[in-house]
Amino acid sequence: MSTIVEVRGLTKRFGSLAAVDDVSFRLEEGGIYGLLGRNGAGKTTLMSLLTGQEFATSGTITVWGESPVENAGVLERVCFIKESQKYPDDFKAKHVLKIAPRFFPNWDQDFADRLIEEFRVPVDRKMKKLSRGQFSAVGVIVGLASRAPLTFFDEPYLGLDAIARQLFYDRLLADYSEHPRTIVLSTHLIDEVSDLLEHVIVIDDGALLVDSPADELRGSATTVVGGRDAVERFVGSREVLHRDAIGGLVSLTVAGLSPAEQQAARAAGLELGPVSLQQLVVRLTTGRAVDFQEQPTDTDKEPRA
Amino acid sequence: MTALPLTLAAPSARPLGSRLVNVARLHAANPFTIFWTPLYVVGLIFAANWVIWWIVRTAAPNNPETVQGVSNGFQYSGASLWIFVYMMVIAIMAMNASFSLALGFGSTRRDFILGTGLTFVGLAALYSLIYILLAGIETWTGGWGLGGAMFNSIFFGLESPWWLRLFHVFALFLFFFAIGSAFGSMYVRWKARGLSLFFVILSAVLLGIVALITVTASWPAVGEFFVAVGFTGAYALSLVISVIAGVSAYGILRKATPRS
Repeated sequence: MSTIVEVRGLTKRFGSLAAVDDVSFRLEEGGIYGLLGRNGAGKTTLMSLLTGQEFATSGTITVWGESPVENAGVLERVCFIKESQKYPDDFKAKHVLKIAPRFFPNWDQDFADRLIEEFRVPVDRKMKKLSRGQFSAVGVIVGLASRAPLTFFDEPYLGLDAIARQLFYDRLLADYSEHPRTIVLSTHLIDEVSDLLEHVIVIDDGALLVDSPADELRGSATTVVGGRDAVERFVGSREVLHRDAIGGLVSLTVAGLSPAEQQAARAAGLELGPVSLQQLVVRLTTGRAVDFQEQPTDTDKEPRA
Repeated sequence: MTALPLTLAAPSARPLGSRLVNVARLHAANPFTIFWTPLYVVGLIFAANWVIWWIVRTAAPNNPETVQGVSNGFQYSGASLWIFVYMMVIAIMAMNASFSLALGFGSTRRDFILGTGLTFVGLAALYSLIYILLAGIETWTGGWGLGGAMFNSIFFGLESPWWLRLFHVFALFLFFFAIGSAFGSMYVRWKARGLSLFFVILSAVLLGIVALITVTASWPAVGEFFVAVGFTGAYALSLVISVIAGVSAYGILRKATPRS
């Protein structure tokens, strides 16, 4: 595997706030990365740093072995679709779509035209008059049709309805398999995209929490479902990441079980299931085991971590 | 994994020229603001002036002496000067509006500012040609049939040959584009606060200079200086200020970041 992006000890401060705090990781060539975290965790700042739009306070970034800052050779192979992208006031959607091909050497116009039709973008309307969804669709079209070897999507789906979001995921995956490249998808609709992601990076408060293949992360926890007593007996003093209970039925999420333990659980008549990425990330970024709204009030609750 | 991870070499960029042209095309993607609007403004000013000329001519006694006198008076018209100030506004707007998008499209700051400079020099050339062309038509039609003067203004030298006037007009367009670029880059980097602070400092410096000249009773010397450099010389000197403004814009923008 070849490393495209290498980040070492990266910190970005705005005054006293560390938006990105001593972060190190690598992106390998080819792959869909999920950059996950809460609002304000530093996702956009991190991507702005990787694309040379922001200047690092300290640490190093190399993209294709060089600093991306003011580096034309690197930047013309990078596409950064920002949820908060500003466009000139008088620009219509067609102006954006007319000018974008000039900046991206791998641009595929046929693909762009098809996407414009599928997303039903009113190209003759001014960008600032577009609905939030249509505005996002323009970014999605540019990001996909640019075929940039390194593409960043920063919350690209804002305002898109469920159908358009599904369309985006479908086109992204189909085009990615035909034209492999490195894609970084920042999102907090984690469950929706979790099937797309091959690798997950989670940041919280500017710090790196997780940098792991998606499968490994999913395998790091298991849901144990069954009768309350049987489940509690099996789980014992293990740390519980998440808990759901309906009547006598309980579903607990616990950290990775060994194959022997899994067998023991099945032998005890318990059902084991995968954990959603979203639950894991929620757990990791809040430090709490439960979602209070879903938690029925019961008295024999375990003490939480 | 046994092998050490390879690091791919950075690809080389497309030639500078094509990158700069891309930026220019970004500015011109919607020609309405930078091209058609200024022409509309000139057209409107012209229409208003034409009506004024007509009123003056109708009111004034219709003898050759008066007609000539009125016509000479028209040459002091500052009507077309507005278009130069408008260019400064255009420069500020273009920089502010396009900077974020150009960076979003993978342009470097350096390419953006150089491409923007190229755009502005091109626009200055285009507008000065149009301006001189209109001046020619004005002379040819006897001041639009009314002895009016909007493009044959004393500010660009009535006795100068057309190519020298072209230079004067070009230099003035360039001056306002360059000043606009400097203001625009300050706005992009430091927003309204930075720009306000700059104007406070600039006013203080200018007042200081005026005070200094007055206290040292140097006004005659200043006058002599401009007489010595002459008309064309003064326009040539404006190029120095334009270059300083352009270089400042470059320096300021190199460290700017797109803010939402």
